[in-house]
Amino acid sequence: MSALAWLGGLAWFAWDWFRANLRSRPPPGRTLEEAYRIGVQSLPVLLVISIFVGTNLALQGYKAFTPLGGQRLVGMFVAMAGVRELAPLIAAAMVAAKAGTEMASQIAVMRTREQIDALEVMAVNPYWFLVTPRLYGILLVMPALSLISVGVTVLASLLVSVFQLGLNAATFLEFARSSITMNDIFAGSVKAVIFAVIICFVSCYCGFVSEKGPEGVGRATNRAVVVSCITCVMFNTLVSQVLYG
Amino acid sequence: MENALAALGRFGLFAARVAVRCVSPPWNTRDFFVQAWTVTVRCVGPVVGVTFPFGMVIGLQGLAIFDLFGAQRLLPSLIAVAVLRELSPVLASVLVAAQAGSSYAAELGSMRIKEELDATEIMAVDSLRWHVVPRVLALILACPILNTLGDVAGLAGGYTMSVLIQGEPGGVFMANLWSFVSVADLGFGLVKTAIFGAIIGLVACYHGYFTTGGAAGVGRAVNDTVVRATLTFFAANYVLTSAMFG
Amino acid sequence: MDELEPPIRLVDVHKSFGSLTVLDGVSLDIPRGRTTAIIGPSGTGKSVMLKHIVGLIRPDRGEVRVFGTDMASAPESKVYEVRKRLGMLFQDGALFDSLSAGENIEFPLQRHHPELSASERRDRVEEALQMVELPGLYDRPTPALSGGQRKRVGLARAIITRPELVLFDEPNSGLDPITSDAIDALIGHLKETLGVTFLVITHDIVGTVNVADHIAMLYQGKLVAWGTRDEVTRSDHPIVRRFLGRNLILPDPGSAGSAVLPRIG
Repeated sequence: MSALAWLGGLAWFAWDWFRANLRSRPPPGRTLEEAYRIGVQSLPVLLVISIFVGTNLALQGYKAFTPLGGQRLVGMFVAMAGVRELAPLIAAAMVAAKAGTEMASQIAVMRTREQIDALEVMAVNPYWFLVTPRLYGILLVMPALSLISVGVTVLASLLVSVFQLGLNAATFLEFARSSITMNDIFAGSVKAVIFAVIICFVSCYCGFVSEKGPEGVGRATNRAVVVSCITCVMFNTLVSQVLYG
Repeated sequence: MENALAALGRFGLFAARVAVRCVSPPWNTRDFFVQAWTVTVRCVGPVVGVTFPFGMVIGLQGLAIFDLFGAQRLLPSLIAVAVLRELSPVLASVLVAAQAGSSYAAELGSMRIKEELDATEIMAVDSLRWHVVPRVLALILACPILNTLGDVAGLAGGYTMSVLIQGEPGGVFMANLWSFVSVADLGFGLVKTAIFGAIIGLVACYHGYFTTGGAAGVGRAVNDTVVRATLTFFAANYVLTSAMFG
Repeated sequence: MDELEPPIRLVDVHKSFGSLTVLDGVSLDIPRGRTTAIIGPSGTGKSVMLKHIVGLIRPDRGEVRVFGTDMASAPESKVYEVRKRLGMLFQDGALFDSLSAGENIEFPLQRHHPELSASERRDRVEEALQMVELPGLYDRPTPALSGGQRKRVGLARAIITRPELVLFDEPNSGLDPITSDAIDALIGHLKETLGVTFLVITHDIVGTVNVADHIAMLYQGKLVAWGTRDEVTRSDHPIVRRFLGRNLILPDPGSAGSAVLPRIG
């Protein structure tokens, strides 16, 4: 029941933002600043995680296809699983964990220290001032982060396949390339944009409704990453069903 | 670089001090059970909420692959392999890091800020033994349990997609489900997640225990916990998987 | 009608949070150009009342009119217009940590006075820093400010737009007695130089009595006393007496030279 009320609040929050802010320009300079920050914050983590997702994708693909005599298929498996599903989601999860938690905790700290009230009293709309630049910033960088994650995942799988599992690099690439189309790249970008919107609204909302004090900040941060991840995975399934089903 | 090394050293020392207290009495048994129960309850929703749709996606994409070869009957085997060996352990642990790990960091962090940890020490109670050890042990227990639930949810998601939505025959699905997975795979998943649980617990408690800087510091501790715990157990996952297959 | 009405008029304001009644029918006019203090023990709804006045909380029943606009029913754009005419000092300053002290003060100017050039804004900020006795602190990072400095910067930010009404939320809380006196002195000084309406929410009686022209006392959500400073401090309402007695040794009305109240610190 309270979860439903919370989701209703989230929807209302997003609607409120759209109603009031879609046509107003963001505070000057802040969008690029946020984009830069989100990108720089998330990129190192994203690279490392993408590497390990790639390595394990190759290991597991190899293990799964060997009994079928289909080691050649590893390249295809990596490309389809990695490019279509895992890499965009990994990018979303890491941006949620890094940039999303930061949005939630910053806004929650501002709530705790009455800075949001101060914005209101100074006649500055906090949604416009705090949400708009973050939303546009994350929308700018998310597709790029998603593509980087795709590239790194496939590259790491290739390296593990060739150097650890002894597969042929040319075959791997051949199968990988033939199973990926421009359509998949497009689908990945669509997903990235949807995930960016989800992460931004969920994280900011968690910050805005947090209770005051250190526990409140902690809980808001925690909730931001969990709810963002679940929502992204669910929407991912939905989008995949629409695009590939 | 020097700072990173120093931090790593501090973490190692912290982990060692916690580990010693994990294996020697007295234990805070009550908090251990309370924490294990709380963590499991709080993470069930998120774990199922992620593994179920993920199982569905594997069903969807697996079908796309096997359609090419007319080998749809292999789909359930692939789903079982993917879910049991990799997806459920990893996803369950990601969600535990995000949900339980971050709440550990937040709890201990605000205890630090409100000087509750200092108060514990001043009352001559070992704060590591009392507050940290039960949390770490609780995750070592809860992670495999949640992994098992994730297994079930992932397979259910795969079944939902391939049988209920895409209309593959249900009997074939069930018959082929277990052809490539063994008890060893299940056991390996449990061992892996217990290790991930220990990593998440230690990283989370470390960041919470050494929080500085007020409410903002708590936020930072939570943020660092999720990211670093995830990075660490992904790396561990690669090493463990290689060792098992190697 | 803007001119006929007092800047703040509360008409029978009721507010409850769940089963907890915080404001139980408060009616009050805050006179223009004077300094009014709202006093009362903690948990009696002083802060909630203040948040009603700036439109952060809406009443369950009643009217909160600020400059003739009912903050409870006015659309958001009207509420923002009202807010542009007031300034507020928050309890802990509510300064933005990412900005320097001077940038914090400049913030409302930047948002609402695009007609000012960067150098004009800078001059205004330096002038405000002078007023709060913090000259040359423009570039100081906010986290490096002491508690008293935070209050002063918050005060400078509250008056930078030359508002017609300035609200103070517990200006003395969390300060040592000496800094606290300095803030009171500053408020007293600003009151004379700016000539605008001040509303101070406080439980620090000593400071209040020195700056206030009028005093209102809230107790358990109701207004139990209201009048000029002398009327209220000499009132024999039992709750007022009890509250004042704990906070202040009143001068004996008969003794000579009682105009100066004893100060602590």
